[in-house]
Amino acid sequence: MKQLTKLAVATTVALWAAAGSASAQVTELRIGYQPSPIQDNSIAMFEAWGAKNGVKIVKVPNSYGVYVEKMTASLTSNSDQYDVIWHNDDWGQTWAHLLEPMDDVEANKFASKWSMSPIVFGNDKGQNTVVPMGQTFSVFFYRSDLVKPEEVPKTLDELVTVSKKLQADGKVKFGYVAGASMNNSWFTWFWSMWGNNCDVLLPPYERDNKKLAANGWKSGMTEPCMQKNVEYWWDAINTHKIVPRGMPAYDRNEANAVFMAGDAAFTVADSLWWGTFNDPAKSKIAGKVAATRFPLGPDRAKPFAWDDIWGWAIPKSISPERKKKAKEMLNAMMLDKEGQKKLFKATGAPPPNTEFWAEIAAEDAFMKLLKESVLDSPDKVRGAYYFPQWPAVHKAFNDTVTKAVTGKREDIAKVLAEGAPLVSKAAQ
Amino acid sequence: MFGEQQRFMLFLIAPAALLMLLFQVLPIVIGANASFRDWALYNPKKIWVGFSHYYAVLSDPAFLYVVLPNTFLFMILSVAGALVAGLALALLLNRPFRGQKLVQTILLVPLMVAPVVAAIMIRWMFNDQFGIVNTVLEAIGLEGQPWLVQRWSAFGIILLTDIWLWTPWFTLLLLAGLQSLPKEPFEAAAIDGTTTWRVFRFLTLPMLRPVIVVCVVIRAIDAFRTFDIVWTLTGGGPGRSTELFSLYAYVHAFLNLDLGRGSAAAIIGGLIILVIGVVLYRLVDRIAKA
Repeated sequence: MKQLTKLAVATTVALWAAAGSASAQVTELRIGYQPSPIQDNSIAMFEAWGAKNGVKIVKVPNSYGVYVEKMTASLTSNSDQYDVIWHNDDWGQTWAHLLEPMDDVEANKFASKWSMSPIVFGNDKGQNTVVPMGQTFSVFFYRSDLVKPEEVPKTLDELVTVSKKLQADGKVKFGYVAGASMNNSWFTWFWSMWGNNCDVLLPPYERDNKKLAANGWKSGMTEPCMQKNVEYWWDAINTHKIVPRGMPAYDRNEANAVFMAGDAAFTVADSLWWGTFNDPAKSKIAGKVAATRFPLGPDRAKPFAWDDIWGWAIPKSISPERKKKAKEMLNAMMLDKEGQKKLFKATGAPPPNTEFWAEIAAEDAFMKLLKESVLDSPDKVRGAYYFPQWPAVHKAFNDTVTKAVTGKREDIAKVLAEGAPLVSKAAQ
Repeated sequence: MFGEQQRFMLFLIAPAALLMLLFQVLPIVIGANASFRDWALYNPKKIWVGFSHYYAVLSDPAFLYVVLPNTFLFMILSVAGALVAGLALALLLNRPFRGQKLVQTILLVPLMVAPVVAAIMIRWMFNDQFGIVNTVLEAIGLEGQPWLVQRWSAFGIILLTDIWLWTPWFTLLLLAGLQSLPKEPFEAAAIDGTTTWRVFRFLTLPMLRPVIVVCVVIRAIDAFRTFDIVWTLTGGGPGRSTELFSLYAYVHAFLNLDLGRGSAAAIIGGLIILVIGVVLYRLVDRIAKA
C-alpha cells in the first residue's frame, strides 16, 4: 500500500512538473491585427522567425471598424486572448496603462526617435509601450503622366489652377480626390489645415497635454485659418468643381478607387498605398504615380511633413513567459533586414528600423523621396492627439467641418462657431 | 412545494431561463450599473456619479433635436413603407399565377442577405462616381447626385435599404394571414358584384387587421434599435444628420469609449421603447377584442 502511495505521489509530481515546463515553453503566439498590406508583411516576418524557433504564429484578424473597442475591452478584461496586438499612435495614451513596457526590447534603439516619443506611447512612468511596425503617414500623390515634377502644385491655390487646366484639357475628370468622412479626416481636412498653420486644438501643432490643458483645450474651429480651410474645400467642390461632389462622405477606399480608376490627378493617401496604386491588377494608373510634399495654404511658407508609426504592443495581462517570447519575436522582426525590405517593396511604408533606410533609399527612388521629404524633415507634425478622448474630439471636429462644407457657404462661420465648444468639451 | 407536473415544467423552462438570465438580464443589469458610474472602457474607475450621465444625455441638443426625431421618423416611415410594399406583394401573391412559387422565393431573397452586406451594396449603388443609380440617371440625360452628402437623400437611402430588407418579412406574414381568411365573405362580395377596391377596403383590410397590427408592433420595436445599416451607409452623417438612437449610444460607448454615458443612452432608449411597446400592445389587445 505504501509503495502504491509513493507511486501515486511520484506520478503526480512528475505530471505537475511536466505540465509546469509545458506551460513555460511557449509554442504559439497569437497576433491580434487588422488585415492590411503593412500588417500582413510584418506578420510574415513573425512567421519566418516562428518557423526557425518552433513557435506557431496564430493570426487573429479583426475588423478595422471595431478594432479599438474590441481590443480595449480585451485589454481591460485582462484576457490572454492575444500575445501581440496592432497598436497605433491614435490610441497610444488610451492603452498606455494596459500595455507591457518595451524598454527591454533592445532593437527598439533603431526605431525613429520622433515616432517613439513618450508623448505618444509612453506610460505614466515614462516607459515606452510599442515596437514599431513601419512608418505610416500620408503623402501627396500625383499622376506623373499628366503633371511634370516642376508643375506639381506647391500651394492650395495652385492645386485649383492645375486641376482646372487638366480638367479643361480633358485629361482627367477631377483634380483632387481623397477620403474626408469620419476617420478619414487626414486625407482632406488635416493636411490642408496643417499646411495653413491651423489645427484642431490650440496652439497649432502642440501635442503636450499639459500645454493643451493650460490653454483650456481651446479648439481652432473659430480661427480664421479654419474658416479658410472649410471655404477652400467648399469652393473646390461647388465653385471650381475640381473634386467630386460626394467627397465629404468618402472613406479612403472610395477615394482611392476614383484615383486608381484614373479619374483624378491628385490625392493624399498613406504612403503604404504606393504598392496598390502601382499594382496593374488593381490600378489603371500603375507606373504613372509619383509623390511629393503637401501643397501649402496662404498662411504658411515652410514645408511640413507628417510622420507617425503603426506598431505592435503586448498586453500587460499575459504571462511573463509569453511576454518574453513575444519580445524575442519583435526584437527579431526589428533586425530582419530582408523582411523589412520586402515590407517596403510591398507597401511603400518605410520599415521600422531606421538603420535600413539609407540602403533602401539608395535602391529605391520612392524611399529616397520619402526620406528627404518626410523622414529627415525638420518640420514634422503628429497626426493625432495623445489623450484618451481623442476619438471623441476627432468625431466632433469631423461632424462640424462636414456639416459646414455640405451646407451653405455663408453659414460656414456659424457652423464652425457652433462646433467649437463641442470640440473643446470632447477633449475635457 | 411543487407538484410533479410543475417540477417538470420548471425543468423544461430552466435552460431557456438560464440563457436569458445570462445573456439578456445580466448584461442589462451590468449596463444599468455602468450608467451610474464613471466607466470609461479604457479605464473603468467605476466611481458612482448618480444621474449625471442621464442628465448629460437628456440635455444634449443633438440627442433631443436630431437623434430622437430621426429615430421616430425612421421608425414610422420604415414600418409604413415596408408594410405597404409587403401588403401589395402579399395581395399579388395571394392569387394563383404561373411561376408564383418562383416569384415568392425570389421575393424572399432580401431576408437572406445580412443587413451589413446589403448596406455596403447599396452604398456602392449610390456612389456618385461608380454607382449604378447615377449611371442610369446620366444615361437618360439627368444629372447624377452626391446622394450621401445631403441629409434627406442620405436618410432616404437608409429608409430604402431598410424597407427593401423588411418587405419580404411583411409579405410572408401577411400572405399567411390572407390565406387563412375565410372564403365565404369574398364569395358573397363577388356575387354582389362588389369592386376590387371595396373588397379590399371593407373585407380584406378589416379581417387582416390583427395580423397587420402584430407585424407593426414587432417591427416598430425592432426599427427603433436599427444600427447596422445606418452605421454602414452613412455612419450617422453627414455631420450627424442621419444619426439614430442606437448610433448615439454606440458612439458614446464604443467610439468615445465612455461606457457609462453610452449605457445611460441605451437605458433611456430602452425606457422609450418600453413605453411605445406598452402603448402598441394595448392597441393590439383592443383590436383583437374588437
